[in-house]
Amino acid sequence: MTTQITIPIGPQHPLLKEPLSFMINVEGERVVDSALRLGYVHRGIERLCQTKTYIQNLHLFERVCGICSHVHTTAYCQGVEALLGLEVPLRGLHLRTLMCELERVHSHLLWLGVLGENIGFQTIFMYAWRDREIALDIMEELSGGRVTHAGNVIGGVQIDISDEQFYSIVYRLNDLEQRVEKLLDVILHERTLRARTQGIGYLSPEEIRRYCVVGPVARASGVDIDLRRDSRYAAYGRLHVNVALAHEGDVWARTLVRAREAIESLRLCRQLLVALPEGPTRVRAPRRVPPGEVVSRAEAPRGELVYYIRSDGSDKPARIKIRTPTLTSLITVHDQLEGVETADISVVLSGIDLCIACADR
Amino acid sequence: MNVSQILAFLQETLPSERLEAQEMPINEQVISLPPQTLRPAVQALLEQSDVYHLSTITGQDMDGQIELLYHFWHGGGLTLRISLPRQEPSIDTIIDLIPGAAFYEREIVEMLGVSFLGHPDPQPLLLPEDWEGSPPLRREFALPEEREEEEG
Repeated sequence: MTTQITIPIGPQHPLLKEPLSFMINVEGERVVDSALRLGYVHRGIERLCQTKTYIQNLHLFERVCGICSHVHTTAYCQGVEALLGLEVPLRGLHLRTLMCELERVHSHLLWLGVLGENIGFQTIFMYAWRDREIALDIMEELSGGRVTHAGNVIGGVQIDISDEQFYSIVYRLNDLEQRVEKLLDVILHERTLRARTQGIGYLSPEEIRRYCVVGPVARASGVDIDLRRDSRYAAYGRLHVNVALAHEGDVWARTLVRAREAIESLRLCRQLLVALPEGPTRVRAPRRVPPGEVVSRAEAPRGELVYYIRSDGSDKPARIKIRTPTLTSLITVHDQLEGVETADISVVLSGIDLCIACADR
Repeated sequence: MNVSQILAFLQETLPSERLEAQEMPINEQVISLPPQTLRPAVQALLEQSDVYHLSTITGQDMDGQIELLYHFWHGGGLTLRISLPRQEPSIDTIIDLIPGAAFYEREIVEMLGVSFLGHPDPQPLLLPEDWEGSPPLRREFALPEEREEEEG
C-alpha cells in the first residue's frame, strides 16, 4: 500500500527567493499532485495607480518587478506616448532599447546562477553572478541605479551617453560576451548540468500554445514567438533580432535558449551603440492624457509583457492592467511537476524563471 | 491572417450580429461582441484562424457596466470587447477552449465580482481567503487613505 504525503513549500522557504506557496503531494519519491497559492506579495498596484498621476506612476511601475524594472516602464511609457501621439526621438528610443537589452542579459545571468545553485552546481552560480556585475555596472553608470534605473520618462529617456562612456561600454560588452560564450560552452558540454536538467519539466509545443506560455519557456519548446521581432516596438524595427530557439522543451533547452539570448542581446547592444543617432533623447509630454485606450506590449526577459491603459482625459489613468509573463508559466507548473522526483522539484521551479513580485503585482 | 478576414469569418459564425472592427493605437483591432457570442467566437478563432494566443483578459468597471477585454496576439493585436451588467455580472468560462485563461478569469472573479459559469476552481488568486468588502477594482471600493479623507 502506498500513502500520499503532502509537503508544503512556502510561503517562506529557503528554496524560494520570493513568497509563494506550493502544496506538493508525493507518493514515495514521486510527485502525484500539486497546488499553488499566489498573493503573498500582492500590493494592489493596479488599484493604487488610479490614485496617482501618470508621472508618479512611472516610479510605481518600476517597482512591479525587482529584476525587469526597465521593461515595465518601457511598456507603460510607449502606451502613454501612443495615447498622447508623441514621437520619441530616435536617440531616446535607442537608449531605451539598450537598457532593455542590458536588463535581459543581467536577468538571464541571474537566472543561470539561481539554476546552478538549485542543482548544486555552485561554480556556475559564482561565474554567472560575477559576470552579471558587468551588465549591472554599465546600467548603474548610465542611470545611477543598479536595479531601479528610472531611465524612462514619458516622451523618451532621461539618460544619455558620452563618447568616453561609449568606448568603455563597448569594451566591457565584448568582454562580457566572451564570458557568456564560455558559460554557453559549459551548458552545452558539462555532464553534471545536463544530467540534472535534461528531460526535466518537459512541455510540448501544443501545451505551450494551449496554456498561452510566452518567452524563453515557449521558445525552448520550439514555439517561435518574440515581440522584439514580431511587434518591432521601440528601436527593434531598426535591428535584426535573431530569435534563439530549441526543440527539446526541457529545463536544459531553457538554459540553452537563455544563454543564447544573452549573447544575442549583447550583439544588439553593440548595434544600438554603433548606430546611436545624434539629437535629443526626449520630448516634453503634457500632464493630461486625452481620452482613449491602448494595449502596449513589450518583450520582457521572461516574455510578453502587456499593459492595457485607459485614459479618461485627466492626469490620472482610469484603468491600467498589467499582465506579467511569469503568470503564463505558473499555470504550467502543475503539469510539469507531475511524476518528477522530489529532488527535481527545485529544478522544475527554477526552470521557468519565477518572478513572484511580477505575478502578484 | 488580417483583421478583415477574421471579421469576415466571425460574421459568418454569428450571422445575427453586426460586427465592426475599431482601431486602437499600437496595431490593435477591437471587435465588440454580445456576451452570449463569446464562446462561439473564441471557438471559431481557434478552429479557423491562426489566433490561439490569449495575452490576457482585462476587466474594468465602467459607468453602469462591467467590461471584459479579451486580448489576443497573432502578430497583431486583436481584442474582443464584452459588456456585462453591473448587477451580478456573469459569463461563460473559456478555459475548456483556452486552459491558459484560468488565472485571468480567477483574477476577474476576485477583483470585479464577475462569475464565470463552468470555471472549475474560481477561488481567489491574489486576495486572502478571508477578504471582506467589495471587490477592489469596483468603483465603490475605497483605499484606506481615501476612506480617511471622506471621514475627515
